[in-house]
Amino acid sequence: MNFDHLHLLLNHVPIIGFFVGVGLLLASFTGTNDDLRRSALIVFAAVALLTIPTFVSGVGADRSIAREPGISEALVRRHEGAAMLGLWFVIATGAAALTALWRSRRTGGKPRGTLTVILLLAIVASILMGRTGNTGGDIRHPQPGTGPGAAITESGIGSIIHLFEPSPDGFTNLMVANKWWWATMMVMHFVGLSLIIGAIGAINLRIIGFAKEIPFGPLHRLLPLAMAGLAINVVTGMLAFIGMPAYYAADIAFWFKLGALMLLGLNVAVFYLTGIFHRVERLGPGEDAAFSAKIVAASSLLLWFAVIISGRYIQHFEDSLRF
Amino acid sequence: MPFVAFVVDGAFGITNVQLSAPEFLNTLERSGLSTWIRESESAFAYYFVLVVHNIGLALLVGACGVLGARLLGFVPELPVAPLRRYFRFVWAGFWLNVVSGVFLLIAYPTKALTNPVFYIKLVLIALGVVALKRIERSIPQVERSLALWMLGLWVGVLTAGRALAYTATYLLYGKGT
Repeated sequence: MNFDHLHLLLNHVPIIGFFVGVGLLLASFTGTNDDLRRSALIVFAAVALLTIPTFVSGVGADRSIAREPGISEALVRRHEGAAMLGLWFVIATGAAALTALWRSRRTGGKPRGTLTVILLLAIVASILMGRTGNTGGDIRHPQPGTGPGAAITESGIGSIIHLFEPSPDGFTNLMVANKWWWATMMVMHFVGLSLIIGAIGAINLRIIGFAKEIPFGPLHRLLPLAMAGLAINVVTGMLAFIGMPAYYAADIAFWFKLGALMLLGLNVAVFYLTGIFHRVERLGPGEDAAFSAKIVAASSLLLWFAVIISGRYIQHFEDSLRF
Repeated sequence: MPFVAFVVDGAFGITNVQLSAPEFLNTLERSGLSTWIRESESAFAYYFVLVVHNIGLALLVGACGVLGARLLGFVPELPVAPLRRYFRFVWAGFWLNVVSGVFLLIAYPTKALTNPVFYIKLVLIALGVVALKRIERSIPQVERSLALWMLGLWVGVLTAGRALAYTATYLLYGKGT
């Protein structure tokens, strides 16, 4: 699999996406336009989701590029460290944006304080993504005097950010040093999985037609359980990936799982942004959902089970891909 | 081979207790089914059983999570009585995992049966089933403490199940980890 190309295809998404998101959010502060604010939050959430395969494909790209002559190992490591720091700010911004979307839907209000926090998070994330992009670009097009083996000199803001960047190997070793830490992460990943399947399953089954005596509105308020589960699993999942990057990146089942998660992002977008949600929102006891809603609900269930199944098959498909 | 071997050291009595596996585990491990699940390269052998076990977990603990959250007061406007219907998924997940669990046990009998955590898991499952049965009978009037016990027990089962991979002293008969 050509991770190098995949990484090049994806790696502009977090940078451009976050600049667009910050612009939209800033513009929404000037007026009373709710659509701008909502769009900014949706952009942050979507970009955060896409940042996961961007980050992951970088490891594959790293392994393929390492074979080429004239590539500076130090520049690759610096780029990895920058990505490992920026990733968490992107994920935090995405999570905060989803929470704000959920709350504004529930209360209808404009939580100014939350929006300011999101703006600050997004600005930090944008700077870190910019830094990640620059350090990544340096790998292929080094600055004069930074060929293989040359010492890297940081200047300006880069030297400040560099103080906070983890050493990639150090971070990896930290994750796998203690088997009980690993076991704890795996237990949490399974708890997160149960929360997601429980809440998403209940909501989707109601749409499909199971337990129709339950009104949709209150059932849909279980969603924060799934959001908490998703937060747990994105964090534990990415930490596990950082613990064994080459193991996961070289695994077809892992990529299948990521693909299913991306399709779930699309599924959520179709459900909430095309008016399907508006039509099921007021379903009372005994009322039947529209056919389009049932299709979306069934595909969500299928995709979540595809995530579980491919996740469980990761061990079986160890070393199934070549860098 | 005896199940427990005591090493008696002169006047000091027992100084070392060595656990070792009884012979029938060896016999079971050498059986065709056990060997096939464990050693087959097929994606429908060991990892398929694990997938089924995982789906069972998702159904069981997922439904327990929704029930437990509501019984503990989350989303009070959600009617409790219809949630009884979710017990269908609870028991489907439970029996899926009894069956897949037996297959996993057949694949690695020594690994599980020489591990104290496995017995802890069985006890937690028994208690978890009792808690679920009591909730199923008394729903919609369920005490919060019972809901909390039920959730705690099933998270305990999940934790013990995961811990099996990290606490085994033997992988196979006569083969330590």
